[in-house]
Amino acid sequence: MSAASDAVDEQELSAYLDGQLPPDRAAAVEGYLAAHPEVQARLRQYAQQQQELRAAWVAQSGGPVPSRLRVARLEAALRGRLYQRLTAAAAAVLLFAAGGIGGWIARDPGGRLALLMPGGGSGAAAHTFTSDAIEAYRVFSVEVRHPVEVDAEHEAHLVQWLSKRLGRPLVVPDLTKLGYQLMGGRLLPSESGPAAQLMYEDGKGSRLTAYYEPVGFGGATEFRYRESDGIGTFYWSEEGFGYAIAGKADRDRLLKAAEIVYQQISASGGDKNPKLPGKAS
Amino acid sequence: MPVDAALIEAHIPGLRRFASALHRGDRERADDLVQDCLERALSRWQSRRPDGDLRGWLYTILYNRFLTDQQRQKRRGIHGELAEAVESDRLVVKGGQEAALEHRDLLRAFAVLPEEQRSVLVLVGVEDLSYDEAARVLGVPIGTVMSRLSRGRERLRQLLNKDVEPSGEKPRNIE
Repeated sequence: MSAASDAVDEQELSAYLDGQLPPDRAAAVEGYLAAHPEVQARLRQYAQQQQELRAAWVAQSGGPVPSRLRVARLEAALRGRLYQRLTAAAAAVLLFAAGGIGGWIARDPGGRLALLMPGGGSGAAAHTFTSDAIEAYRVFSVEVRHPVEVDAEHEAHLVQWLSKRLGRPLVVPDLTKLGYQLMGGRLLPSESGPAAQLMYEDGKGSRLTAYYEPVGFGGATEFRYRESDGIGTFYWSEEGFGYAIAGKADRDRLLKAAEIVYQQISASGGDKNPKLPGKAS
Repeated sequence: MPVDAALIEAHIPGLRRFASALHRGDRERADDLVQDCLERALSRWQSRRPDGDLRGWLYTILYNRFLTDQQRQKRRGIHGELAEAVESDRLVVKGGQEAALEHRDLLRAFAVLPEEQRSVLVLVGVEDLSYDEAARVLGVPIGTVMSRLSRGRERLRQLLNKDVEPSGEKPRNIE
């Protein structure tokens, strides 16, 4: 072994300890250590303190992970915050448009103010529900990069995931007849619990969403229509669940989409008495 | 690509150790940092390279977050490292566990080391990152990781050999 390869520096000693030296340099370090017992003693001390450091750290940071660091919880909070932020921004813009009144009505526990609304009688719940559906459309339909959380390629996973979170089998309607392809879906928070949004796009880039929320707003099953700032929605409620088809498409096309979605949900066994109120099919 | 909670959670104990080393054993602040890091990771999940090294990615987010916090504190007039170092004695023991008491001398000496040495000692020595991985997390060349490591080890050894008195010399972070 030459004198040059015998020379070992501090960094190599450390690297030797960490097992990150190439074999020839490790051999050189060993040769050096054999000749320098005092360095060997020092290296042994390094190794000991490293070992103790590991034990101390593992002991100190052991124990159960606090709930505030659970990923599922953080994810839900994040989604809630993002959604609130975006809807708050949208609401501010709409304050004196339909949204302003809607906001008050949503907070009106007796639903008295709802009577003032055109087409009222559906109550505050329906109004809140359609506001949710419309805002979700407004926020996410303009997304270029992240319009959905789970894309259509993973439809099986999407169905399984959203069904689990919403607590009922979720139907992903097929709207290809109208020229809409499924893009995917996402989970959203709502006052009534986890809600789902499925997004579709046609060949021209026009988007449409199916929004599901676990809220019933009573009355007979019928399609109702609401429009807010250019976004229209046909919506209905059935068995404690609200459905809304929202988009900027014209009213007829939205109604056709709503009919298809209604039929496909009924056909999946959700409804025992399928009929299309307000429109003979 | 949906978030895989289990995949991330596997790294939480390691992230907590790293954060704890950065904050000198202050578990509350360490967990704040981890929470911050996880929130960031989740909000950027879509933009992460799916084939990339998840652990390295998480550690990098945590470390950058830590540096940002430090800078913010400095701007607010708190002399980050020094103020912390003075506090460190109390903090390490405040950890309260028997484990912390058992390793008190070591943890106390460790807390005296500057942040850059604490980082490499934990990433390499406790978390078993390679030099290359540690360099990427810290955003420095491998040579820097190696020199910080050897200096940190030597400093720690000297501190322990001196058997530092708890109320003895003021912790200082001058290299």
